[in-house]
Amino acid sequence: MSVPVMTVPGEPPAPVSSAAVRATGLTKVHGSGETAVHALAGVDVAFGRGEFTAIMGPSGSGKSTLMHCLAGLDTATSGQVFLGGTELTRLRDDELTRLRRDRIGFVFQAFNLLPVLDARENVVLPMLLAGRRPDPAWFDAVIARLGLRERLRHRPSELSGGQQQRVAIARALLPRPDVVFADEPTGNLDSRSGAEVLDLLRSSVRETGQTVVMVTHDPTAASYADRVVLLADGRPAGEVDRPTAASVLEALRGLGG
Amino acid sequence: MLSTTLANLRAHLPRLVAATLAVVIAVAFVVATLVLNETSRATLLRAAGAEYVGTDVVVTTTDGSSLAGAAGAVAAVPGVRAVDPTVSADVRARFPGRSEAHLQVSSVAADPRLRWQRVTAGALPERPGEIAVATTTDAAVGDVVAVTVRDPATGDVTSTSDATVTGLVDLGGDPSAGLFARGFAVPDQVTAWGATDPTELRVAGRPRTEPELLAAAVAPALGFAAVEVRTGEEAAEDAVADVTGNRLALAAVLLVFATVAVLVAGLVIANTLAVLVAQRTRDLALLRCVGATSRQVRRSVLVEAAATGLAASALGVGVGVGLAALVSALVGADSPLPLEGVAVPPYAVGAGLAVGTLTTLLAALGPARAATRVAPLAALRPTDAAPLRSRGGLLRFAAGLLLVLGGAGLMVLGVLAVDVYASLAGGTASFLGVVLLAQRAVPPVVAAAGRGLGRVGGVPGRLAAGNASRNPRRTAATATALLVGVTLTTAMVVGAASTRATAQAGLDAAYPADVEIGAYGELPASLLPRLQEVDGVAAGTALLGMDVTGPDGQPTWVQGVDPAEATPVLRSTAGLTLPAFGEAVLPQWAADAYGLRAGETLTLRAGERSRALTVVVGSDVTAPLLSAADLRGLAPEATAATLWLRLDDGTGQRDAIDEVTELTGAAAPDAYVTGLASERAAIDSVLDALLLVVTGLLGVAVLIALIGVGNTLALSVLERRQENGLLRAMGLTRGQLRGLLAWEAVLVAGVAAVLGVLLGGAYGLVGTASVLGGQDAVLLDVPWLQVGGIVVVATAAGLLASVLPARRAARTAPVAAITAV
Repeated sequence: MSVPVMTVPGEPPAPVSSAAVRATGLTKVHGSGETAVHALAGVDVAFGRGEFTAIMGPSGSGKSTLMHCLAGLDTATSGQVFLGGTELTRLRDDELTRLRRDRIGFVFQAFNLLPVLDARENVVLPMLLAGRRPDPAWFDAVIARLGLRERLRHRPSELSGGQQQRVAIARALLPRPDVVFADEPTGNLDSRSGAEVLDLLRSSVRETGQTVVMVTHDPTAASYADRVVLLADGRPAGEVDRPTAASVLEALRGLGG
Repeated sequence: MLSTTLANLRAHLPRLVAATLAVVIAVAFVVATLVLNETSRATLLRAAGAEYVGTDVVVTTTDGSSLAGAAGAVAAVPGVRAVDPTVSADVRARFPGRSEAHLQVSSVAADPRLRWQRVTAGALPERPGEIAVATTTDAAVGDVVAVTVRDPATGDVTSTSDATVTGLVDLGGDPSAGLFARGFAVPDQVTAWGATDPTELRVAGRPRTEPELLAAAVAPALGFAAVEVRTGEEAAEDAVADVTGNRLALAAVLLVFATVAVLVAGLVIANTLAVLVAQRTRDLALLRCVGATSRQVRRSVLVEAAATGLAASALGVGVGVGLAALVSALVGADSPLPLEGVAVPPYAVGAGLAVGTLTTLLAALGPARAATRVAPLAALRPTDAAPLRSRGGLLRFAAGLLLVLGGAGLMVLGVLAVDVYASLAGGTASFLGVVLLAQRAVPPVVAAAGRGLGRVGGVPGRLAAGNASRNPRRTAATATALLVGVTLTTAMVVGAASTRATAQAGLDAAYPADVEIGAYGELPASLLPRLQEVDGVAAGTALLGMDVTGPDGQPTWVQGVDPAEATPVLRSTAGLTLPAFGEAVLPQWAADAYGLRAGETLTLRAGERSRALTVVVGSDVTAPLLSAADLRGLAPEATAATLWLRLDDGTGQRDAIDEVTELTGAAAPDAYVTGLASERAAIDSVLDALLLVVTGLLGVAVLIALIGVGNTLALSVLERRQENGLLRAMGLTRGQLRGLLAWEAVLVAGVAAVLGVLLGGAYGLVGTASVLGGQDAVLLDVPWLQVGGIVVVATAAGLLASVLPARRAARTAPVAAITAV
């Protein structure tokens, strides 16, 4: 899954790195003047290909805003975001939409399945929107890995929370995106279903080299990641490599959160 | 709490625009209907009933006997100021530069109070030798009219005289004014022109005399039974009814439409308020959190509705009166629906205000109840997911079914018994039933149509199909608003087309030839070829006429027709039997006189020759009718006595008739031209005016329903903010999201339009059958082009209504999927 790097004559070529997603000098300001709130106050961060990274931080640290900006869901006030060699911060809405459709996968806290579609239709929705046919072998593999074969004809209202989240993960993985963003994917699940979901995310990184970026406030969830990026007051505040629940908790305490 | 309500009202004023607009339009429509009805009534009274409006009492014979002797007796009744025995005569008149034509001359009353004619130039005649004519004759004051009087029995000219035009009378608005020329002269002159005895007395009372009391006093003074005594107002109403047919039916039809507008508006208002309540769920919940009781919340919503309804109704009354004035100015007094000025009855204003306010309040009951169900907790939670199911309501279903079945039964009865009131009641009941059932019936149809759409519309179509059937109650309400408008419009269009077809067929049968030219003397043989060359004349045939000797030895006038030549000239041969060679068509009276029955042999003689013919009895002939070949065999010298012409269909008929009249007048001064072409055109223009009004109604109904479709989508956009954000995050472009809502709108509007057209078509056919069923055959005619147009317009309107909500939805940031609120 290589992305052609575009070069513009007269400008230095965009730096090619092993990073799947990378941000430089990213700021996001809500409001203006005296009431301005700096959700992001200059963030430089990079996420490697085939890496499972967790973003953590206390409430209001800007971790969700960071993810929205990285995923092209929200526009930054200043700074740049690169997905591979593509600068997101330069794209117009339709280009951004197509980019999200083709190259980014999402898993949300509230499952976010369309109630009028059944599980299979929800899974293939982004591909259909892009006018592409899912590769049947890959589709079968994803469905099998997520244990959804018996549930494909069910509507979201007929599925448990864990099952719904597995449908959402299948939806995110099917187009083989450059990166999957997961926003508190276990936030609405009991601990057993939560552990299942995290296992699935981690195995997709291990087995298929999928890049996953996950926002969470749960140290146990973060311990499934390869690396934890800490955020406080809209700025990077350290990293934890090969995290465990205990080491993450320790690092968070250090932030005073 | 009231201050909160009012603050709310001020804060959300822009959101109330849709509800206000719906009320304004509906109320304006009701008021305009009532005002136009009143105006039309007043105008017609002034026009068609003009001669009776200023009259206190009208005495009419019921058996045609003369009232000449009764005038004195009536004048002697206490309280009577003046009596005018109206006489009239039918003469032939030649205006300068024109050929001779029929003129009906009526007498001018001696008493100024009984002179009803509106003189626009000059003055009414004062002495014999003077005449005032209608403005429609195009004559000028000072013109000299050559008047020829003929004996009605023999056709011989009995006198000729000249009369000077002293004035012009405006008969504007009198629908009969266009049919023949009218003139007015002093009674002596009218009598000299061969007036028959008066059959009507118009009586003026002394000042401050009650017409009813005077009528009661006049009746016994007449002493014989065959008279009818009416007040002037009653007589005017009767005259208007004669002209317009059943005016009650007209008012009823208009009020049905007003009811429809109110019903549609009610549905739209309910939807709009539902949107408002949903938008304010968190506000309302917050009110509950800080201690407002659910009763207070409900009252707040109702007060808001009442204030909106009252303000919008007041606006609607103004708009309605303005609309009526506009229509009146555009239509004018010379149309089939004459209108002059505006008459604003107080009840119209009252009805408008009451209807608007009450409808809004009633429509608010549902949303107000929904508002009370808002839990205080809702203020603290992200917005709830939309309810996917609504409660069934078995009672509603049963009531709907009962109304539909009962109404259908009544309609069948109405068609069979030709009783329009039974059909009207049945139609109303069944339609109410349909509206009640719509909640159950529409969503499955939408879902079925959606499955088809899912195949052609791609992903947005597939999603739209699912979305459209998600909230069945709301989908049904939206669709019903459109359904009502489309149904009624289609019913009118189909009804009007069928009425036109039936009426035309009836006219065709009764008057098979467009133009008939007859003569007291001989028609030159060269006339027919010249007339056939006239632009607008499609075909023509000549009938021979001859006096022959009947079986009783008496001379009898017979006519000869060439069936092969006549058939293409005639509009219809349903009422007219054409004789084959060797046959004679006898009118019933002739068959009776000769003691012959159908199939027996009639022997006619002319000089030495005789002919034996098989008798056919025909209802529509006035004289024995033979085939032209038979008549020539009997009397080779027979010449053309009557010409039949057929005109091209279309607009140029009036010109063609004018030219035919001129040519005929020049070739044969004593010939007369009659025909039903002008009546045919008059019927067409009345129905065209009706259809124009219907198109206007479609506009109103569609406009209101359009607001409803827009509101429903707005509510959906609000409720599916998170979902739409998700779709955007998943890669749905803005254009695709707009397409999604457009498909949803098209689906709901299209289903409503198709169902409405089916229902409306049935109602239109039932209505026509039950109004016209008694007369001959009813021809059912469905104008497919217009019906198709209705479906297209209604669906396109739905599409248009999706534009604004779709823009709003397209602005949904993808982040909304995650941030929820």
